[in-house]
Amino acid sequence: MSHSLHRFGTEDNLRNDFCIYTRAAKGINRENCGDKLRETLKIYLSENVVNFGSSHAGRCFLNGLDPEEYAKTLDHSYGIIATFADREAVKGVLVKAKEAQLGISTVVSGLIEEVVEIAHEAGLKPHTALISLGIHGKTSMLPENEVLEFTTMCGHSLVAQNLVRSVIEKVKGGKLTPEEGALILAKPCTCGIFNTRRCAALMKEKLEKETRK
Amino acid sequence: MVVDGKVAIDHDECVDCGVCKRADICPTDAIYMPSECFEYPRAIRMQFSDPGVQHPNLKAWGRGTEEAKTNDVTGKFGRGEYGLLIEFGRPGTGTRLTEIEKVTMAMCKMGIPILEDNPLYGLLEEDMSGRFKPEYVNEKVLSAILELRIMEDKLEETLEKMFLSFEALNTVVSVGLVSRFDENSKLPVIEKLRRMGFDVRPNAKINVGLGRPLID
Repeated sequence: MSHSLHRFGTEDNLRNDFCIYTRAAKGINRENCGDKLRETLKIYLSENVVNFGSSHAGRCFLNGLDPEEYAKTLDHSYGIIATFADREAVKGVLVKAKEAQLGISTVVSGLIEEVVEIAHEAGLKPHTALISLGIHGKTSMLPENEVLEFTTMCGHSLVAQNLVRSVIEKVKGGKLTPEEGALILAKPCTCGIFNTRRCAALMKEKLEKETRK
Repeated sequence: MVVDGKVAIDHDECVDCGVCKRADICPTDAIYMPSECFEYPRAIRMQFSDPGVQHPNLKAWGRGTEEAKTNDVTGKFGRGEYGLLIEFGRPGTGTRLTEIEKVTMAMCKMGIPILEDNPLYGLLEEDMSGRFKPEYVNEKVLSAILELRIMEDKLEETLEKMFLSFEALNTVVSVGLVSRFDENSKLPVIEKLRRMGFDVRPNAKINVGLGRPLID
């Protein structure tokens, strides 16, 4: 799940962008973990979740994944992931997961200082971090930064740069609202970590810039 | 690409991620996966590129391993150690395995072992040279993660050599580093990296220690 690590953006526009991944460990607590994952899903759904998904089903919640049908498949899985757009929801998930004593490893991606603070508020002690040292190599192959802010919201790179450009143009041209544009971009990301609220906010920011010109 | 005046998929460049098929927008079935996509060696393309396809040897989906995600119960990366996750082809450029090989060979020359529970490991030659088996080297994937474990005192030397090996790459790499928090919930490695001149992004993935039994 380093696929939620390298989300590109400014400290400001990454502030309300969180993913939570609950994952059972091979050889330790993965065996028969289906019920625990279903309990986790219930917790996610109770806390203002933005999106979640299933790469096995090939679709995310915002693209028609039915939570009840998805829950039935969790006996064949070892983890679930969801996206949130506010710190209180993340804190709520962590508090409930701790109370439920599920014992399954849980990872939160977001701004380091903020996630540590939320973990403390939930009575948890952060254990390990995966930090990002950025993008290297032949960076001339990359699209412009404003496109990367959108494409990197799917860490598996399933949201194409040209789709992003096309949607931005349609939003700027008034053919789509920022929210409609965000939904189109979220669909290829089957894991459901594409944050439509952050996406719509970024689109609105662009519209405002255009208007000021 | 355009063939005989029609738009067609360039199957040599295609990484078999499945996005266009799942979009289900072609009314004439022009978007298809030839049978060779499901046969080796090409089958590794979809295993690395489509998150819904399993790596059969690991029975795992995706591109990496459990790394920091379950470190609270596996203890894979202890205190005094770091994990390095070098993801080739991300974001969005894709990569041939020939590009990854440039770095695996450099790391093997330094005596840094490539972690075994990783989808790339099974594609390597067994002679520890860092070379991939010849049938795989020209395959192209959307991204793949090379995972290493290094001791704390080797951090600077390893990063210097690793970044030097990136200069020859014809792709991009996203670099991640796994580290334990200290007793005060701080990450001393961040200051260390900044002193070495490396940029550290403000966002990260944090294992919040909910796994049981906990390895402290």
